[in-house]
Amino acid sequence: MNNEIIKVDNISKSFNLSAKQRKARKISEKTITAVDHISFSAYEGEIFGLLGPNGAGKTTTLRILATILKPDSGNAYINGKSVVDAPFDVRRQIGFLTSEVKMEEFFTPDQLFGFFSEMHGIPEEKCEERKNALFELFGIDKFAQTKVADLSTGMKQKVSLVIAVAHDPKVVIFDEPTNGLDVIMAKVVTDFLLELRRQGKTIIISTHIFSLIEKLCDRVGIINNGKMVVCDSLSKLTEKESLEELFFRLYEGGEVS
Amino acid sequence: MTNGIWVVFKKEMSHFFGDKRLFFTSVIMPGLLIYVLYTIMGSYMSSMIKEETESFKTAAVNMPQTVELALLEYNFEIEHIDRNDIEKAKQGISDGDYAIVAVFPDDFETALSNYTPDESNGSVPNVEIYYKSVNSNSSIAYMDLVSVLDAMEDQLNNVFDVNNNENSDITYDLATKQDATGNTIGMLLPMLLMTLMYSSCASLAPESIAGEKERGTICALLITPVPRSHIIMGKLASLSLMALMGGVSSFLGIILSMPSLMSSMNMAGASDLISADVYRPSDYIWLMVLIITTVLLMVTLISILSTLAHSVKEAGTLVMPLMMAVMLSSFASMGMSSGEVPTAAYLIPLYGTSASFSGIFTFSMNPLCVLLNVCSNVVLSGIGVFVLTKLFNNEKVMFNG
Repeated sequence: MNNEIIKVDNISKSFNLSAKQRKARKISEKTITAVDHISFSAYEGEIFGLLGPNGAGKTTTLRILATILKPDSGNAYINGKSVVDAPFDVRRQIGFLTSEVKMEEFFTPDQLFGFFSEMHGIPEEKCEERKNALFELFGIDKFAQTKVADLSTGMKQKVSLVIAVAHDPKVVIFDEPTNGLDVIMAKVVTDFLLELRRQGKTIIISTHIFSLIEKLCDRVGIINNGKMVVCDSLSKLTEKESLEELFFRLYEGGEVS
Repeated sequence: MTNGIWVVFKKEMSHFFGDKRLFFTSVIMPGLLIYVLYTIMGSYMSSMIKEETESFKTAAVNMPQTVELALLEYNFEIEHIDRNDIEKAKQGISDGDYAIVAVFPDDFETALSNYTPDESNGSVPNVEIYYKSVNSNSSIAYMDLVSVLDAMEDQLNNVFDVNNNENSDITYDLATKQDATGNTIGMLLPMLLMTLMYSSCASLAPESIAGEKERGTICALLITPVPRSHIIMGKLASLSLMALMGGVSSFLGIILSMPSLMSSMNMAGASDLISADVYRPSDYIWLMVLIITTVLLMVTLISILSTLAHSVKEAGTLVMPLMMAVMLSSFASMGMSSGEVPTAAYLIPLYGTSASFSGIFTFSMNPLCVLLNVCSNVVLSGIGVFVLTKLFNNEKVMFNG
């Protein structure tokens, strides 16, 4: 087995709910457990998929890995660095992409790439070299000097992808990668993730789309109500049944509610 | 990664200078607006004063020559009319032919010459003046004639004079150019400066922090390996510089429109002793240091409130009390000399600054007190950066976690 790059060790995370949120969810508890003692690992050069319904705890898990949130208990490690104790070392090694991360529309892709490379301390020469390669690969060089505000949704998505990996991270964390994208853009994204895997990157994605997991992932964790229900390689999980059949069998058995 | 501050600073400044609309509304427009507004105000005041210096056409019945001579100074044009024409002349006021109609009794001069101060309250001659209060020309003419007649009445009772030494070189008003400038500028400029600085900061800081939160662009910044304190310092430094540019623009607007305002004030009889050249270079240096540290403090305070807000609109609401504090501090220390403010009060943010400005402008500055305020601004800004770092590290504040 390859090197363990991502290690999630028994993490939990709860959130306080405001009166408004409690009313909306029709519950009386003042806190909600989003992640409940989850553990799993992802290895070098593989794509790990977190599968689960909305509100299962996928995004919270990825946010903890991206050092945006701190776990209440447990720890997670990226290439041996703790997200709790060494967040700066973790941030140097990850590229995080989610629909929540937006780009400043005033700048051009060229300026944004330069800015984020500088924020990661990438030397100018290396930045230029990487920018040229990535811009060419995605066809961004044609609109590199156009303000983000003037780009189409597809172009913006391409720019977001490229900027997330401007510093050549070892790990890519991608929350709902194809959410809200049309088929063409979804293909651009999946091709990009496969290309990153080919380059030896470790990728972790969250999704509720079975076909995406089947197309991309080497290993899968099914998560629900903040708990990891099952976690194994895709080939093992789908030995006797399809992923969808497995999910709904677990669902009907009460393990996935 | 220590250059994180510089990278964020560069990015913010490149946005500021690259976005023509932002640059125009933050730097060019404040100065331009003030210049245009004050110039129009000056012209309006001048035209009002000019109106006052127009001649007052007066229809007079039995006006004594002594009164007529006294009125020459006030630009009165006297037209003697017959008592039978009074009603026609009164109509003339409404028609704009006359400013006023003054009717003196037939024996007015005789009554005056026979008057003795110890005369008991008997019947006194009555002068009737018809005017129209809603017409400024008529109203001013009425007041001028009444003041001339009052002066005549006082002369009849003259027991002593005050400062009646017209032929000597004695100057009774001992105010120097410095005093006159300090008095006028010290009343106006501290408040104006505080307001302009605050406006500049408040127009930029919420957009840079609450705006980034609202648009979701701050997340990308926070997952870089740059310490959040560096991101904050980069933002604060750039915002302070932008706010200073906005403040300088507003200040230039005031200075450039000053000739128009001053000329109208001089026409109105204000002291011509007022001049900015009475301030020493050291005063300007103190001013600059105070302005820079105050802008830094204001930007920090507004940034803290903007960080707590979810949107630019909410940030605008949250900073309202701060605006009130700026206004109150400016009012409280208006025209105060340094001696009137306790030394410890210079440690109070905003109030101490406003008092320091007053001290500088009224030439009563105590360098120790101003230094105390500068230090207070710097220390409080430092505490503000610490608070901001804590807020930026708070997942609930930054990501609604």
